[in-house]
Amino acid sequence: MMASTVLNFVNTTVVWVTHALDAPSARATVFGFNIGGHLFIEVLLLVVILFLLSQKSYKPPKRPLTNKEIDELCDEWAPQPLIPSLDKDMQYEPPVLESAAGPHTIVNGKEVVNFASANYLGLIGHQKLLDSCSSALEKYGVGSCGPRGFYGTIDVHLDCEARIAKFLGTPDSILYSYGLSTMFSAIPAFSKKGDIIVADEGVHWGIQNGLYLSRSTVVYFRHNDMDSLKETLENITSKYKHTKNLRRYIVVEALYQNSGQIAPLDDIIKLKEKYRFRILLDESNSFGVLGSSGRGLTEHYGIPVEKLDLITAAMGHALATEGGFCTGSARVIDHQRLSSSGYVFSASLPPYLASAAITAIDVLEENPILLTKLKNNIAVLRKGLVEIPGFTIASHPESPIVYLRLKKSMGSLNNDIHLLESIAERVLKEDSVFVVTSRRSTLDKCRLPVGIRLFVSAGHSESDLHKASESLKRVAALVF
Amino acid sequence: MANLYVKAVPPADLNRNTEWFTYPGVWTTYILILFFTWILVLSVFGCSPGIAWTIVNLAHFLVTYHFFHWKKGTPFADDQGIYNRLTWWEQVDNGQQLTRNRKFLTVVPLVLYLIASHTTDYEHPMLLFNTFAVIVLVVAKFPNMHKVRIFGINADK
Repeated sequence: MMASTVLNFVNTTVVWVTHALDAPSARATVFGFNIGGHLFIEVLLLVVILFLLSQKSYKPPKRPLTNKEIDELCDEWAPQPLIPSLDKDMQYEPPVLESAAGPHTIVNGKEVVNFASANYLGLIGHQKLLDSCSSALEKYGVGSCGPRGFYGTIDVHLDCEARIAKFLGTPDSILYSYGLSTMFSAIPAFSKKGDIIVADEGVHWGIQNGLYLSRSTVVYFRHNDMDSLKETLENITSKYKHTKNLRRYIVVEALYQNSGQIAPLDDIIKLKEKYRFRILLDESNSFGVLGSSGRGLTEHYGIPVEKLDLITAAMGHALATEGGFCTGSARVIDHQRLSSSGYVFSASLPPYLASAAITAIDVLEENPILLTKLKNNIAVLRKGLVEIPGFTIASHPESPIVYLRLKKSMGSLNNDIHLLESIAERVLKEDSVFVVTSRRSTLDKCRLPVGIRLFVSAGHSESDLHKASESLKRVAALVF
Repeated sequence: MANLYVKAVPPADLNRNTEWFTYPGVWTTYILILFFTWILVLSVFGCSPGIAWTIVNLAHFLVTYHFFHWKKGTPFADDQGIYNRLTWWEQVDNGQQLTRNRKFLTVVPLVLYLIASHTTDYEHPMLLFNTFAVIVLVVAKFPNMHKVRIFGINADK
């Protein structure tokens, strides 16, 4: 009954539609097209369009969440921890110094020989530096109360910049208030997004951060490997042959904090000139150390300092103060005065530190014996450590960072660090010699093998060095 | 004292991604682009006008479906991602429904469909493609479909 009604209805409709389409008016021809069945659909669509156009516009109402939905959302939410949970390694507490970080210092109430501070010239606690600091403190107070461009420039800053430039034979230099920030301000001041930086894979964290902040394309080459550098430069040159206005930089460390290796500057300069790159050199560990008068890597290789486009260095190592400087041509330095974040946005170096830096350079220039002493000390320590079981001396013979690397890795980075730390701990506890492992931050991307680092100072006496080498040899023999 | 300050009229649309659609001449340009595309297709392929309209309709379907109804967010970072879950169509006129611009954008595929089907004389298979295109485009433009992802199509991962 029902089905027949529906069928009947459908049949009637079909008949009616066919009839409508067959009507003479529907047979008209428009623009050469036979209208036929078109009319029906076209009128229908037209009605739809008119209906749409007649609608009034409105804003969809914002429906507030119901309490149930809010509860659900709250239940679903599982907060992620802000930091990963602390494991045992992260809770490691390093020994704490209880006196100035000179060649001898106090750890846990006991006097120890300090091989953990980069006090290469032994200037920490030098009487002339102390006098210079205290007179500057009396004259200027402690802080400089502003960034350099904003009431923070004091005559000693300018004197210090001039003194550094005069010492290194460069046209100009610029002071930064913090050693690490020197690199990660100077690099982004020159290298921008789209530029290319070729960097050594062993550079320290300050440089790594600079590379990251510059947003440039960073390509790493194998640590201190000139063939790898050449290959990298070759690849980049051919890849970007048709790109104009591209700034290209090589970033290297003069003396690698992470391995004690010295960069072969003569080869790098040849490559840089061949492939037309600019070179940024970090002299943090080589300034005041390498070369016959402590002028750094350029003097070590007898290369005129003008060949380098930019030299940065921290003053917290050999100069025994704090802060950093960058030196180069007047244009390169002037550019940084308005566009280097560390210079523009942070309070300037406390004047007494600038004055200490001037005095430290004076002392270095007046006493070349300090350098001879340092070189001698390095040689003595290396000689003492030659036959240390289980380790090889991985650093350059002239490097004040004597780097002991494990002959055979324990399989994983963590195991290596644990082993090295247990050695360092025993050496400190049993023989009062303070050495450190190359423990790196979790942010540090350097993948060079870990080891024990000894920072040799001109202030160490021969007996200190013997004590250190004997102690390390004794403990290493017990461990391996 | 009352008229000390300039009374600035806020711009109609603060979203840089959709602001251009409020400019004068956009509708004319849109129609002209479609028309010249038809001429281009006609002259390049040398096909019949009906096939050319079908190609234009389908191309219009693909392009507008992708850019109006599929891609979410804006290419600009300064809106801090507030449009990240909205397609371009949902961003137009700040989400206001049935505005002049929206009506125009809805009528365009309908009229294209009309022209394309009429000029191909409602022949199979062009009719099928054209109908599919118009249904998808018009359904996606319904006010009721605002922020609705039917069958989870293009839903947030």
